[in-house]
Amino acid sequence: MTHPDPDVLAEFRAGLGTGRRRARIASHLAACERCTGLSDQLGEIPALLAAVPAPAMPDAVAQRLESVLAAQVAQRDSSERTVGDPAHHRAHDLAHDSAYHRAHHRAHQGARHRARSPRPGRHWDFRLVALRVLAPAVGVLVLAAGGYGLSRIGGSSTSSVAAGSEAASAASGAQAGAAAAPSSAATSRPEAAPLEPAARFGVVTSATDYRRATLPQQLKRELQRYARPAGSVQELAPGPVKECVLRVTAGISPVSLVLVEKAYYQGQPANVIVAARGDHDAAWVTTPTCSAGSDYVLDTTTLPGTSAS
Amino acid sequence: MPGALPISGPTSGGEWPSDAELLRRHVAGDGDAFGELFRRHRDRLWAVALRTVCDPEEAADALQDAMVSAFRRAGDFRGDSAVTTWLHRIVVNACLDRLRRRAVRPVTAAGDEQTLEARLTHDPDPARAADIRMDIDAALRILPPAQRAALVMVDMLGYSVDDAAAILDTSPGTVKSRCARGRARLLPYVAHLRGNRPASERVSPAQGNDS
Repeated sequence: MTHPDPDVLAEFRAGLGTGRRRARIASHLAACERCTGLSDQLGEIPALLAAVPAPAMPDAVAQRLESVLAAQVAQRDSSERTVGDPAHHRAHDLAHDSAYHRAHHRAHQGARHRARSPRPGRHWDFRLVALRVLAPAVGVLVLAAGGYGLSRIGGSSTSSVAAGSEAASAASGAQAGAAAAPSSAATSRPEAAPLEPAARFGVVTSATDYRRATLPQQLKRELQRYARPAGSVQELAPGPVKECVLRVTAGISPVSLVLVEKAYYQGQPANVIVAARGDHDAAWVTTPTCSAGSDYVLDTTTLPGTSAS
Repeated sequence: MPGALPISGPTSGGEWPSDAELLRRHVAGDGDAFGELFRRHRDRLWAVALRTVCDPEEAADALQDAMVSAFRRAGDFRGDSAVTTWLHRIVVNACLDRLRRRAVRPVTAAGDEQTLEARLTHDPDPARAADIRMDIDAALRILPPAQRAALVMVDMLGYSVDDAAAILDTSPGTVKSRCARGRARLLPYVAHLRGNRPASERVSPAQGNDS
């Protein structure tokens, strides 16, 4: 008998194969030192693999996923609160479609996707690889995660809602030129006000160079500098930045944004997104090419809640 | 503290709510339940994702896709498997989806085999733990994804064949076969880690695909 393949020996060891075949291999092993040695080595592989320690989830990944799940909870809460509001449903569908589902449809809608996107979908991963090597411009987006969207401004009794309302009016001035909404309208808008076409959340452009080690401190300073704008994702002008925000928050809609900033990270252009989550703010730093199709998050952090002052 | 939570259904009987109870609370609108479920299992899910896609960024993306999907589809969970099995299945499917979408394996098999061959030839001290881990990480990349997922769960992370079969939605026999073929394919690349065979006796890599 010729020597059995390693595959065959491995399956034999795993108890697979018919009785006749197993008998043939067993008798070969009894007579063949080489195959017996090979079989012994195969038997050692499980222990070798088991000895590699299982990696714990890195803190940055855990934080990012916590943010994403918190965003999902906020989105669900706001959906339930605004059932029957057609404007909200439009926003909800848009966000719902934007991140997860779009990613999954990409493979099946190659032609449509390419028609919409400046780059072919199939080059997406290649682009990510290139980004890692070249460390290109990065965008910084800052979102207020605790906003619970639609009911934020309209006079709900919760404290986060009230804070958001004050922040909205305080912010419109500080965001000179960026926020188109008239400040006087902020406190008197009806429930669905954030979806009014006139409301625009401004994207800040700055020369701030965020560093990995000092990201939280720098963000804190930056947020003080810009007061505290509050707006939903839907108030962002349509485009890649908005798609990026929808993407990194996994489709929260609407969301109260604190800061969306085009800045720098580790010396390279970046987007910074900050969103309030409960009494905390969640922040993401992404590549400047981040959009609905690529959510390359470079860094995340959480900040103690900044009061709207 | 958990005793203070309103418990409306059966739990595992212990102090903490069962996975199924947490999922039910999540479906009922409890904003904290899914997060607790996630934190309970995140390290194992991370290990499975990382070892299956062989890249931390891809693993994080796959896990994010999976958790969002699980969050939204929790109402579809029918209890015909354990909640952990269901979660693992969503994670593994997200990983395999990502690998399929990439259309190429993490590194081409040929390139990996050359790299590994060079390492086997030139590494003067293969006994150091870090090297062993690197060698195994690199060797795993040459396996077809479905084979790797099975081998990672059963041999590396200690899941039972039955659990792995449920997660991979296949039969225990298929899992055993994938593991066996995976071991055979790894053999030439990890045999030196036991340090007892000269290079001339190493077998060539097994050909063929997982099926």
